[in-house]
Amino acid sequence: MRYEFKVALRYLASSKFQTVLLVGGVGVGVLIFSFMTALINGLTQFQIDQTVGSIPHVVIEPKEREPRVLPSDHSGTEVLAAVQRGTVQREQIRFWQNALETVENDPATRVAVPVVAGNALVTRGQVVEPVSITGVRPEHLSEVAAIAPAIVAGTANLDLDGVLIGARLAHNLSVEVGQPVVIRSDRGRERTVKVRGIFSIGIESLDERVAYMNFKSAKALLDLDHGISRIEVKLKDLDSAASAAQAFAGATGLKATAWPEKNKRLFDAIQGQNSTGGLIKFFAIVTIVIGVASALLLTSVRRKPEIGIMRSMGVTKGFVTKVFVLQGVLVGIMGALVGAPAAYGFCALLADVARRPDGTPIIPVDPAQGNYLAGIALATIASAIAAILPARAAAKVDPVEAINL
Amino acid sequence: MNSLIPPSNDAGTPLLSVRDIFKTYVQGEVETEVLKGISFDLFRGELVSLLGPSGSGKSTLLSVLGTLLRPTSGRFTMRGIDLTGAAEVMLTAFRNRNIGFVFQYHHLLPDFTAIENVMFPAAATDGGETDAIEERAAMLLARVGLGARMHFKATKLSGGQKQRVAVARALMNRPALVLADEPTGNLDRESAEQVMELLAEINAESGTTFLISTHDPDIAARCHRHITVIDGRIGETPPFPRAAA
Repeated sequence: MRYEFKVALRYLASSKFQTVLLVGGVGVGVLIFSFMTALINGLTQFQIDQTVGSIPHVVIEPKEREPRVLPSDHSGTEVLAAVQRGTVQREQIRFWQNALETVENDPATRVAVPVVAGNALVTRGQVVEPVSITGVRPEHLSEVAAIAPAIVAGTANLDLDGVLIGARLAHNLSVEVGQPVVIRSDRGRERTVKVRGIFSIGIESLDERVAYMNFKSAKALLDLDHGISRIEVKLKDLDSAASAAQAFAGATGLKATAWPEKNKRLFDAIQGQNSTGGLIKFFAIVTIVIGVASALLLTSVRRKPEIGIMRSMGVTKGFVTKVFVLQGVLVGIMGALVGAPAAYGFCALLADVARRPDGTPIIPVDPAQGNYLAGIALATIASAIAAILPARAAAKVDPVEAINL
Repeated sequence: MNSLIPPSNDAGTPLLSVRDIFKTYVQGEVETEVLKGISFDLFRGELVSLLGPSGSGKSTLLSVLGTLLRPTSGRFTMRGIDLTGAAEVMLTAFRNRNIGFVFQYHHLLPDFTAIENVMFPAAATDGGETDAIEERAAMLLARVGLGARMHFKATKLSGGQKQRVAVARALMNRPALVLADEPTGNLDRESAEQVMELLAEINAESGTTFLISTHDPDIAARCHRHITVIDGRIGETPPFPRAAA
């Protein structure tokens, strides 16, 4: 293989312009591959941070009670029954501390947050607005919602007498930070709290209809002295949501739902985006194969007399094949080693420069997720595969015809 | 190195024995019979010219003898080995070790130096340019008068020099037979004389058998024996002054 390597290298060195073009072509293919990978992964991460990042990966809720159908006294008689969900008992997780501990101790869990939730009316003077109350422990607020970075007035402080409301609701109530409002829950309990912070997420329904309270205050307000509404779980690995949900359900006996199930459209959109990215990457690799194959095919035609003379000297077909495949491999490696750093530099530049005044990315590319090693390996393999056809054509050269004997 | 070669050959045993060789080219429904029953022997150390008008079948005969083309029928043996129906892999290996070629055009590899070109037949089959291979190539280049130019790129040599490198390359693996197809056809008179002189000297020194196809009566006149092919058959040889052996 040593001598074949020398001949392959000599061939590439002798056609410098063609080799530079080939290496450049493979480099561009790798650049596209890695850039698309960094872009799709970055975009997915961005979407997750913007959406899934602020929603739980798994939600653990009370199990829905299945209404029972009582057996008929008359055996063999078919019974038709209309069933209706029970409304006698309120849905809540009782003895939630055990379930919380079980989930917290699971190795897949990053954090598990007990949440109480319910509906209420918030009143200031004559203005009454409906809100959805979410009660969490102060240290868990950022796990439940990205409120802290969205605060436009006051702080994200969830003390026992405080509430955080959206900017739209604050406007409707004409209330400012530090002013009191009265909140009356759908369980008939009432509490006066002060607005500690006003947030603006940018989604009108959230900015107008959501309020965050301290966990204990909310429990009392919503009359959930012995239970909670749900446990929201953030996982270490987002992709393990389905299996983790299954494990949690089994361990706690509660209903556990993974985020893709609760956010099917979002999940489908991310999946579709990944598939599109995969398709573009596939075509980038196909471009490498076509480019390398056609260039080496031309080389095999151009070098036909030389191949013929080699064959007349008793050089085997295997030798000729190896020389051409090695050219493909060398072009692939060189192109990949040019393309991968170029892709990283391009992605880093985009990530650094292409930002809005508020710092959010215009193109959410993540240079760390370019999968550069895969790009290098795929380009090399693709180039080697691309060289097989020209190599076979070269090996088949008839020496008599090539030398014009 | 020469594992395909029997231990020795007696002087009276032909190096190459050709019997009733036919070669027919088929293109579509058209069949062209180029060789029509060629038979002759070549002996070790002979310098033989292959004569005949253009299109008579000389090049086809050289291709068959060089194991580059298979005859349609007939039989030929070299060093006692029947090559007529041998497998291609075996023929390739046999060619590498036993047959050298010199063509009308030098066909040097343009990206390689003179010495790399000479080393090629051995290096390509022995896994690389070993010291022994390099030493022999340097010796051959010195023998053909190109010792000072061995590291010149092939493209930097004159036509006559290139052809002398081609001669050295043909001798690299110590072949028993060198087939030369119009080796001086592309050279000026002076270079042609030099190359032919060289072939004759090497033949005398090493005992390598040469079969040289030529139209040049002066070249043919230097050979020990003449084989004439006319219309695919062995024909009458015109009278040439016999060269001193």
